Amino acid sequence: MSPMSTSSPASAPDWGWATEYENVSGEVAICGVGESDHSKASGRTTRDIVGQAVERALADAGLEPRDVDGLMYISMPDQMDVTAFHEYFGTDHDIWESRGGGGMTHAGAAPYEAAHALRDGLARVILNTFGVAWATQRSNMVGGPGESHAQELFKQNLEIPMGWFPQPVYFATVARRHMFEFGTTQEQLGAIAVAQRRNANHTPTAVMHDRTLTMEQYLAAPTIVAPFRKEDCCLISDGGGAFLMTTAERARDMAKPVVEVAGVGLGNSSTGTHWAQQCAFTSTPQVFAAPVAFAMAGVTHDDIDLYTCYDPFTIHTLMQLEDSGFCPKGEGGAFVEGDILNFDSGKLPTNTHGGLLSHAYVLGIAHVVEVVRQVRGEAAAQVPGAEIGIYGGYTGPQASTLILRRAR
Amino acid sequence: MDVRPAFPLPDTEWEPIREFWAGASRQELRIPKCDACGRLCWYPREKCRHCQATSFAWQTVSGRGTLFSWVVVTHAFLPQFADLVPFAPALVALEEDPAVRLATRIVDCDLDSIDFEMPVEVTFRPIFFTGVDGEVTAPLFVPAR
Repeated sequence: MSPMSTSSPASAPDWGWATEYENVSGEVAICGVGESDHSKASGRTTRDIVGQAVERALADAGLEPRDVDGLMYISMPDQMDVTAFHEYFGTDHDIWESRGGGGMTHAGAAPYEAAHALRDGLARVILNTFGVAWATQRSNMVGGPGESHAQELFKQNLEIPMGWFPQPVYFATVARRHMFEFGTTQEQLGAIAVAQRRNANHTPTAVMHDRTLTMEQYLAAPTIVAPFRKEDCCLISDGGGAFLMTTAERARDMAKPVVEVAGVGLGNSSTGTHWAQQCAFTSTPQVFAAPVAFAMAGVTHDDIDLYTCYDPFTIHTLMQLEDSGFCPKGEGGAFVEGDILNFDSGKLPTNTHGGLLSHAYVLGIAHVVEVVRQVRGEAAAQVPGAEIGIYGGYTGPQASTLILRRAR
Repeated sequence: MDVRPAFPLPDTEWEPIREFWAGASRQELRIPKCDACGRLCWYPREKCRHCQATSFAWQTVSGRGTLFSWVVVTHAFLPQFADLVPFAPALVALEEDPAVRLATRIVDCDLDSIDFEMPVEVTFRPIFFTGVDGEVTAPLFVPAR
């Protein structure tokens, strides 16, 4: 039923591209993971939150702070750079650093840059971290997590005056369009919220661990930006995560089962954060990222035991499942119906910790931690026999696919 | 974050879009057109997104289009939106080139009656916000008559 006049074809050739990646399959292992406590407004600082996550990742790997000689983070306020690392841990050794890390897309793509740093001998053990205290800071932010968007001048002067702001408004507009183009229903969006909440109910660290959600409750909830209810939107929480990367070879001598980076891909949208002008309006750059990662890993969709993705809104899980090739474009709605996303009974367990919707809003880094735990067999809501899992990272202008595999 | 006192009113003097807001104050919908390929280019940028040329002329367009998508906001995401809710931010695809989508609001209709691909037309109205001095004339849209 897509009309010619205003269609937003996923196949439009010029709306984005894949970053060219060399094959790094099997070179990097994630050898330690950690999360801070996740909570509503806690009064903690971002630095303390990230520090706690790093302490736990080091303990998980059996490493000391002085063993970390590479650091990845993103240029956002209060992230853990080298100075902050040394202040927190009382160390003073040389550390290679990159701002190509953090959460979102970068939590998925960081292992690619790490592979090169390890190959070139720039570092032996590389730490990637991300954390936020946005639940604590929210009242001082413009539109909460919309603040960075409010600083972008085209958005500030063309979109915000119209009220097309912040993210819940953009992506409810995308969801509405997806409903029109493909017949996606409110219940299908709800199926994602309900399944992820159920997964969170089995994950003690999840912010929503004690709060159940039924489809009836979802449908009865009022809309805040129709077609979205609050339950379609991610939490705002304080928390952080960290993971340690080294060569697969070194990881074999370390504490935990080796989890290797089997494949990684990065996709880009030529219209950046100006979603209003993205011609493939109901698609994500996973269209470009996923094929690269699957080819690098040499796996097919049938090999994937669990899927996680950056899920600020229900529609993002639906679109990324489509755009990553788990179902044809437009069929994501039917795909997510029933119990398919459940950690214990689903055909494709998805966001098994509850995701940004029900676990914590730490912008994807906890998703990578979750995939590592799943393929080690250590997760709270454990997928039976999981060996290969995916993190689909997303930032809007970019998306990444990271395929992790337990080494044999 | 510090914002201009007039936020979320637009900075109508910001050069890349000054003509858009100046046009609205004259009841004209103005969009830059590429001198080389003749396509409308929105948002304004240094190079044409179709042909990479760098020279543009602002053109007055008809103000007719179709509704690409919309939402109904009932929660004020900014305190300045408090007196607006419920309202319907929308993307309108322009008749001259549906690839150009304007962020706007749909007004003068029952919010429940808004529908996909609805023909719409521009109307120029003052926009203003709770607790913010001043107003700016903006291109909003109504169902086509």
